[in-house]
Amino acid sequence: MSDAYSSGRPSSPGRDGMALLGRRTMLKGGSGAALLAGLQACAPAPAALVSAPPPTPREPGKRPLLHPMRGTLDQLIDVKCCIRPLRAAGPNLAAEIIGNALVVHNYGHGGSGWSLSWGSAEVAVGKALSVLPREIAVVGCGIIGLTTAVVAQRAGLRVTIYARDMIQRSRSFRASGSFTPDSRVALTEPAGPAFGDLWETMARLSWKTFRTYLGLPGNPVEFHDSYGLSDTPIEKRHYPPDPAITDSYATKGVPVQNSEFMHLSDRIKDIVPQAVDVPAEENPFALPYAQRSSQMHFNFASYAHTLLSEFFAGGGRFVNRDFHSPAEYGQLAEKVVINCTGYAARDLWRDRTIIPVRGQTGWLVPQPDANYGVRYKNVSMLSKGDGVVVQNNNPDIGEMLGVGDSMELPDRSGIEEGLRIMAPALVLKGA
Amino acid sequence: MKRTSLGLALGLGFLALAAAGAGAALAAAAQPAPRLLYSESQAAEGARVYGMRCAMCHGRQLEGTLETPALTGKFVANWAGRPVGDLYDYLGRAMPQFAPGSLPPEEDAKVIAYILKANGYRPGGAPLPADSAALGRIDLPAPGAP
Repeated sequence: MSDAYSSGRPSSPGRDGMALLGRRTMLKGGSGAALLAGLQACAPAPAALVSAPPPTPREPGKRPLLHPMRGTLDQLIDVKCCIRPLRAAGPNLAAEIIGNALVVHNYGHGGSGWSLSWGSAEVAVGKALSVLPREIAVVGCGIIGLTTAVVAQRAGLRVTIYARDMIQRSRSFRASGSFTPDSRVALTEPAGPAFGDLWETMARLSWKTFRTYLGLPGNPVEFHDSYGLSDTPIEKRHYPPDPAITDSYATKGVPVQNSEFMHLSDRIKDIVPQAVDVPAEENPFALPYAQRSSQMHFNFASYAHTLLSEFFAGGGRFVNRDFHSPAEYGQLAEKVVINCTGYAARDLWRDRTIIPVRGQTGWLVPQPDANYGVRYKNVSMLSKGDGVVVQNNNPDIGEMLGVGDSMELPDRSGIEEGLRIMAPALVLKGA
Repeated sequence: MKRTSLGLALGLGFLALAAAGAGAALAAAAQPAPRLLYSESQAAEGARVYGMRCAMCHGRQLEGTLETPALTGKFVANWAGRPVGDLYDYLGRAMPQFAPGSLPPEEDAKVIAYILKANGYRPGGAPLPADSAALGRIDLPAPGAP
């Protein structure tokens, strides 16, 4: 089993280094060192270093040999909380004049900011280009701001980012980092049918752009198998409208039930892998029912480094600045400004249509050997380069979870509960 | 509308400091902190409010976290040279983040008094007014201004 498993494991730089270290221990003396140097010179290092981990091999009728995932509290190294900026009508991509500056907005993507970042930036930069600028300002350096800046550079513009923090300290870095392009991105009624087409354009463009980052050093973007597990046969969840609930966003200013949320992912299911049932003989887990899907995710540290490197290599400038009012946008040297301030736009731009939706993630020590994800009873774990991300989406109220909640303090007990719930799902068959 | 810095030409001091370069800044930093309109007792009450409503996010020592801004250092640089009223209005509408605008105006003023004291501003005697217009006429000087 271990041999078969080893043959399918990813070849990470860390593992290669440790393997060499083991050889170094055996090769004592100068001749050993010379031999080691020869081995290193002959090794196909570039391929080993830049390749993305290969998927776990799957053979029809056989269980994939997975490495056990540790879901114990002693592995917990961080709990992060952030607020998704949900706008009922979808992201704000409108333009307006402030002073003598054209301000193009690009904020309010709910739980889909990472996933829609490239497509949304394309829309915003396109509007900025309409007045033929040679240089622009981008306000905000979360995933939307930084991506927008890079897209503007690729369009030939000189770009200055004004922000109070770089992406590593932004709310974007407190997300879970999976491709979830229609997560709390809009409400059906206020967004209207036209939003679906815009969303699809943004989602497809983003998906294709993310694919250009697959296999790069550091694996900024990766695919892993993600298993949905259950004690009972798995059925797709639906949230039909509850006729007993007469209130809605229109009367309350916030959604009051799941059926109000817009679900659009079916529009791109021709390219985004869908969940498939795993036959019992191929189910590697002890639980009886499993579905498997291929999940794209983003490794924050590597991805941010990659984008920032491109931004600065392209002559980008970063200015540390906090804005206190929209009028200050009009005082910038650049006369075209793209506003990518995320949830902060609620106060800065007095956009009260932004609805806070609280989310929280726990992070375990990275487990590169366990290169997959698991979902069970509304808890999920996904092994990423920067750690195993844990989400406890209980109580089971679907997308209503966290709606209207702007408390951004982490709650460790929620992650502890999630790990307790998840424990039986991590047991592999035959373990 | 004319803004004052309460008895001292602190705004001018701030500008002079900015113009004089790093050496002057170091020299100015060694001088007594400027005086501002708040009272010791108001700051003490502000410390109590802060402990109950703000410290859970911004830290007991206003130190912040990687995710939550500290209320010292960069915070002062961010607000210095602006009307105290801007800070007062911001607190009133945006803080505490989990329940924006839930503090009575007097408590917002107390919290500001406490933050000013914690950042080295000396009390000026009378309490900071819970009055946006009045505070809008007071510029926040740099802490090291003479």
